[in-house]
Amino acid sequence: MKNPTEKQTQISLKSSEVVSEEQKVYLLKPTVVKPKPAKEAVVEQPIKEEEKVNADSTVKTFGEGISSSATTVGDNYVPLRRKRKGLSLQGKKALSGWLFCLPFIIGIIFIYLPMIIKSVEVSFYGSMGNYDYFSFDAYRYVFFQDGMFTQTILDAMGDLVLQIPAIVIFSLFMAVILNQKMTGRTFFRAVFFLPVILSTGIIDFVDARYAMAEMTESGGIDDNTGASADGGMISALDVEALLANVNLKIGEFSLSEMVTSLINSIFKIVSRSGVQMLIFLSGLQSISPSIYESCQMEGATAWETFWKITLPMISPMILVNAVYTVVDMFTAADNRVMMGLLGYGGQLNPDKFPGNFSAAIWLYILMVMVVIIVVALLMKTVVFYQRRD
Amino acid sequence: MDTVKVKRESKNKIKVDFERAPLKERLKQKFLSMHFLKKVAYVIFRTVLLIGITFIILYPYIKKILSSIMSISDIKDATVVLISKNPTFDQYWYILTQNGYLKAVFTTFMVSFSVALIQTLVCALVAYGLAKFKFKGNGIIFIFVIVTLMVPQEALKDSMNDFFRQFTMFEKTLNPLSFVFAKLQEWFGIFENGAGFTNSLIPLFTLSIFGLGFKNGLFIFMLRQFFKGVPDELEESAFVDGSSTLRTFFSIIIPISIPMLVTVFIFAFSWQWTDDFYTSLFIEAENPAFTFMSHIVRTPEAISDMLRGELETIRNSYTAIIAGTATILIALPLIIAYVFLQRKIVEGVERSGIVG
Repeated sequence: MKNPTEKQTQISLKSSEVVSEEQKVYLLKPTVVKPKPAKEAVVEQPIKEEEKVNADSTVKTFGEGISSSATTVGDNYVPLRRKRKGLSLQGKKALSGWLFCLPFIIGIIFIYLPMIIKSVEVSFYGSMGNYDYFSFDAYRYVFFQDGMFTQTILDAMGDLVLQIPAIVIFSLFMAVILNQKMTGRTFFRAVFFLPVILSTGIIDFVDARYAMAEMTESGGIDDNTGASADGGMISALDVEALLANVNLKIGEFSLSEMVTSLINSIFKIVSRSGVQMLIFLSGLQSISPSIYESCQMEGATAWETFWKITLPMISPMILVNAVYTVVDMFTAADNRVMMGLLGYGGQLNPDKFPGNFSAAIWLYILMVMVVIIVVALLMKTVVFYQRRD
Repeated sequence: MDTVKVKRESKNKIKVDFERAPLKERLKQKFLSMHFLKKVAYVIFRTVLLIGITFIILYPYIKKILSSIMSISDIKDATVVLISKNPTFDQYWYILTQNGYLKAVFTTFMVSFSVALIQTLVCALVAYGLAKFKFKGNGIIFIFVIVTLMVPQEALKDSMNDFFRQFTMFEKTLNPLSFVFAKLQEWFGIFENGAGFTNSLIPLFTLSIFGLGFKNGLFIFMLRQFFKGVPDELEESAFVDGSSTLRTFFSIIIPISIPMLVTVFIFAFSWQWTDDFYTSLFIEAENPAFTFMSHIVRTPEAISDMLRGELETIRNSYTAIIAGTATILIALPLIIAYVFLQRKIVEGVERSGIVG
């Protein structure tokens, strides 16, 4: 609707058979709709000469998405092609979707991507001071000259291969237990989620630093800053004695060493599974109780119910948690690779070459991405999605 | 039904007397069955397990608290393991008075609160847009959300330094944000020309406003899953009633998702509270205007004077105790808040019905 005078002429064109626009307006909305200036570009469609007259006469008064599809000339209805003024309902929704995401989109385009590009660019600098030179020196250094990178990555991968499944299984197990009704549930839940709040940032950093210092010297007071359980509760020898010197070997790793490293990192596993536990809990809550009821009616035991109902229903969450755990463990500041990488120093560390750091960390991120994709693909084969209608 | 004898009958209550097995039989049936024994065994197993893991989680904190009240003579004494013989509150006193703890609490609270508020709101907006609207690029934006979650902040430290402190990135690219910052400078004179945002909170707030703060990808992801579970009918009926999408979001979606938003707020608040990455990057430690929580972890001068004559191992142990005490003081306000709000966290995530 362009202006009121136009509207007057349009209405006069209409035949008596058709409800006039003003009446229509009245039917749908008791208040008089004020003419709005069209904001969006009008999508012009090829319209025949005769129809053009009618096309101009179509007036959109209510709901921008609804346009009158037919109008009349004299007594005959002439079908009119849909002519959109403004956006369709779908277009409008899409636009508001964009508007909602706008802060993030702006952030990504103007802050995040430039930062990433810059960081990657730095890794291709030739040598100190030669900033326009495109070379792979940094990568060559990281891979071949410096033994640390490949060495620590392999070590850390070995650790994480054990720890990540342990975290996922542990958090699932604890979530199932914490989901049951019992006395003191609130207390246990509060304790279990405490590390999510407390084992972060500076507290985590201080704990990790002094735990390391403590391991190296072990004099005076032995543990005082927490994370003491990391220091080693049992040794591989104990486990071997327990297993009657079986000393099973899986490839390079002996079974007893694996068990020991898992038990010794139990504090880490427990304190790193808070968010996962929350996600599993929410998943367990979303399983309909009627399924459990019907299971009970059929006489299934709790054990069967877990394997046949809970596990399949929660499998999407296992995928989410597996991916989250991989990300969380690989990017944690206290993992050995990250520590080693930070040792490369960056631009802020003036005596080291910044390219090495960038090259190493982007290689590492690429590796993590590959691991995530592999994990996601592996998990996808076992994930069961409940059909939703 | 001759056996049923009505003892008393009122309008909506009836008490009847009927024949049943004697009490002894009933108790025997109930408590001597295999089912009951299994249940008891399971409850015992569960309780032991929970208490054990609770101990594992709490042990470092207990140990830290116990060692924080040790005096130097306790460190020298080899028989002291956990319980101090000469308890002292010197460490707390030094950190309170000399490291500017109260100032740090005030500054960190103000900054964490506003940052967490901004992050929660922005993440909710973005997550709502991603969850409820189908548009081209929805998938790409979501992939970027995952990418921001995956790239560790340390990888971007140098770039952030370039971007916010040196402004070298602005010279190369025609970034519209540089004009915004230039205008800000023109109007308010926030930073000196060419000096960038040293000792300024603008970088932190800028990152938060654009949903790029610490672990904001996780918040967006969590909230997106939550909003996906909100039935579409709510919005449809609001639309029919003539509400705009923004108004629907603020007056319908926000109120029903309060538990989830509180969860995200608590995460954002406590992660900002304990943050040392952004604060150490953007704020210089010796700047008296901004004392953050990460700045109070240092040995007070009085103590380093006191320790001058001691052995190195003693000195290191005592420094570790000081650092531990500082972390207790950092965590204390969080723990107090957590005790009151933890129910909301679980509730919020439970209701979300996150589905992968």
